[in-house]
Amino acid sequence: MNKVIEIKDLTKVYPNGRGILDINLDIYEGDIFGFLGPNGAGKTTAMKIMTGLISADSGDVRIFGHSITEEYEKAMAEVGCIIEVADSFPFLSAYENLKQFSRYYPGVDDQRIDEVLEITGMIKFKHEKPRKFSLGMKQRLGLAAAIISRPKILILDEPLNGLDVEGMIDIRKLIMLLAEKEKTTFFISSHLIHDVELTCDRIGVIYNGKMLNVDRTDNILQNYATLENYFVSEVERNGRVPSSTNQ
Amino acid sequence: MKLKKKTVMLISFSIGALLFASTALADIVSKSGYEQLKDGLKTTAEKCSEELDSFTIDISMEVKNNGETLMSSNDVSKIDRDNNTQESLSNQKSINGDNYNSYNYSDDKVRIRWNEDQDTYYVTELISESSPTNFVNPFDEQGAEDVERIMDAVVGSLKDHVMVKENPDGSKEISGSLSEMQIPALINAVSSFQLKQEFNGRQSALPHLTQDIFVKEVSGKSLINSDGLMESMLGTAILSGKDKQGQTHELSFEVLMKMSDINNTEVMKPDLTGKKVVNDVERPGYGPEINNPEKFQGLFKNDILIEKDGKYVKIGERFVEITNIDDSSIVGRYYEEYRTDYEQYAAISQEFKFDANFENDKRQANFEYSTEAGNTTNVNIYLDEYLGKVNFHINQDSGNVLYDSMFSRVFD
Amino acid sequence: MAVFQAALINEIEKLYKKKKVMVAIFISLAVIVVGQLIIVGMRTGFGLRGVGSVEFPILVLSVVVNTILPLLTALVAIDCFSSEFSNNMMRVTLTRPVSRFKIFTAKVTTIVIFILFNLFVLFAFSLLAGFLFNANSATVAGFFKIVLSYSVSLIPMIVLALGIVFLANIFKNGTSVFFVSILGFLILKAGAVLFSQYSSLFITSQLDWYNLWLASSFPFSRIGHQLLIMLGYGIMFFTAGYYLFDKKEY
Repeated sequence: MNKVIEIKDLTKVYPNGRGILDINLDIYEGDIFGFLGPNGAGKTTAMKIMTGLISADSGDVRIFGHSITEEYEKAMAEVGCIIEVADSFPFLSAYENLKQFSRYYPGVDDQRIDEVLEITGMIKFKHEKPRKFSLGMKQRLGLAAAIISRPKILILDEPLNGLDVEGMIDIRKLIMLLAEKEKTTFFISSHLIHDVELTCDRIGVIYNGKMLNVDRTDNILQNYATLENYFVSEVERNGRVPSSTNQ
Repeated sequence: MKLKKKTVMLISFSIGALLFASTALADIVSKSGYEQLKDGLKTTAEKCSEELDSFTIDISMEVKNNGETLMSSNDVSKIDRDNNTQESLSNQKSINGDNYNSYNYSDDKVRIRWNEDQDTYYVTELISESSPTNFVNPFDEQGAEDVERIMDAVVGSLKDHVMVKENPDGSKEISGSLSEMQIPALINAVSSFQLKQEFNGRQSALPHLTQDIFVKEVSGKSLINSDGLMESMLGTAILSGKDKQGQTHELSFEVLMKMSDINNTEVMKPDLTGKKVVNDVERPGYGPEINNPEKFQGLFKNDILIEKDGKYVKIGERFVEITNIDDSSIVGRYYEEYRTDYEQYAAISQEFKFDANFENDKRQANFEYSTEAGNTTNVNIYLDEYLGKVNFHINQDSGNVLYDSMFSRVFD
Repeated sequence: MAVFQAALINEIEKLYKKKKVMVAIFISLAVIVVGQLIIVGMRTGFGLRGVGSVEFPILVLSVVVNTILPLLTALVAIDCFSSEFSNNMMRVTLTRPVSRFKIFTAKVTTIVIFILFNLFVLFAFSLLAGFLFNANSATVAGFFKIVLSYSVSLIPMIVLALGIVFLANIFKNGTSVFFVSILGFLILKAGAVLFSQYSSLFITSQLDWYNLWLASSFPFSRIGHQLLIMLGYGIMFFTAGYYLFDKKEY
């Protein structure tokens, strides 16, 4: 299988001592990777570095072999993402927001914009401005923006934030659909263990800025009753070893 | 690659900084035309007041209307600092076509003035020390630096319009010209308004500008010799406007100042043999203080008039009697006397004694007195040394009687 | 280049949709109307010509170049950066396949286009007002001079804008950038008066350098010097601004 994302020795420590330490991780084509960890474990930090929003102290991320720091445009050409909150320009309509992003991709036209609005159930708000949108609607619009370019990789940081149950189910269905139909690779972070268990086929646990373990979901579920048990035992096992970031 | 980006940024920033620094340095080191002009003025003022033995200054002005001379003036001053002598010859053509010439000569002992109308030389023998060629350098005066700074600010970015042409012999030609577009609109409006007041039609010989008035051009040119002396300076301003008939007038104002015969000027005392001469001795001037106030001791008076049947009639006199005066105080009495026919006015007559202290200038004293009715009135005394009179001003309403506050000495 | 073009179109669209442009047009128009009223008043009241049709645009330029033009430029420059910094909106743009350098350059270019547009609006309106109310002395040479004046005024405005962009990348908050900019502007203006011999080094003194271009004897060396100084400032501000923008974490 092809490595599509390659994270190597990634370190980033904030002045307050938090951050990530020496993270190594490979994502293969077709993976639905679940990035699991409690709040403040370093999930968002890692994903921000992956999408070029912040720079690492050391180490590098390669997407399709292109370094994120050196060949940003090539690395991001087939990546869609939502980091933390799916923002959109409040003074532009849903359509205009998507139009903005579409300009960066040669193959994306107005028809595709309608398509993603349809997929995310936002077509009836096409000409409305996100100023009046609920958090869930904004999240859907953000998702539409993320998938507009038919990306081969989707990096989603807490994609279910702010969604109601129906929305969660919709999004989960959408992820499954894209993975199946378009063979999209997913890198999803979440603190909702149950959700990760349902969606992801590979799972990495991050705790206190360190990668604890990476395994296939079916493997884990053979050894543990639930993903939650696995997570707790992983954290327990590593918690006894004082992590260097805590010193 | 990462390093490369930083290197590129560093190089780019350095280029910018270098570009800025080198130009800025060049700007600071090399003096602008405006600075050179100021230096020329300063050097000239300094040399004229301290260094040069003698020189001639020729200042001429001319005002033209559509090329036709309206008025002009020309002053030639020869100054010999070495011998402390100075003479000047001036010629003025006024707007009415009158021609007026004058001549002055002065040294440390005598001042000679020639009056054209009477063709007479007035020779004034000087009693005080005099040095007619002793200038004070205006740039050494107190506050000169502030004035300079204000000027700089007013000139502002216009100073970039001052051009310098350097000649091989070390002399410089400084010139500048502003057309209507470059003259700041506000300055143009204000100066146009000022000039409009001048050409308001009250002087019949001047064109009466009523509309479309604007400053069309201002230009200047100056020659600075290799010693840094300003040998000539020419300033021109052109004002344009229309009169009531809609005819356009272009008024040009020209001022030319030339400096010549440096250290080579000879001032000649005029030969007065066979000329009409009036001799005179200088009066002590208006000193800052009166040196002998006692001369004001005595009686001063002026007249009180009324207007009656279309004529002025004297109805009485007002008196100020100064009985005692010294450097610090003045003592005396004020009273009024009415003629017998006009006794009825005596009812408002006043009489009081005063004893007042002089102000710092020893010419002036203020005091208050109370009338019988109980009102207080301010009185100001001013000793006019030049006229030999006393100005005694009572701050009151004179009603319909006429008088002023200037009192003349009563001689027996 | 296609990516840069996309970024540029996006920036222009955002600016346009925020109605800032309309505000700029409105203010520019108001200034011209007020200016024209003053001129007419002066002419009928005092008989002064004030200005001819040719000079009216220059008069307008001399006023706006030190007032509303820097003000509107500052507003737009700050808006282009600070408003997106503060709302985390930058992430939306940054996570697209477009380098930060291109986004930065696109934003700067947008500001330049705005200045150009604003100058053009002022130029067109003032020319029109000049012809309507002061049609007594229009010449081709005069027209050329106006075009020249407005064109060269773009350069110092760009340098000023780059300075403000640099500030906008230092302070996160748009309001503080605005006040720091205004304070800086006033300090530089006052400094140019107090230290007039060094005034050519302050960017604010270059704002009315169009005057130099109108001089009857063309001052090559002065114009060259000013140009180099502005270029130096421009490169420094651009590089420093980009450095901060590139380093920023979102």
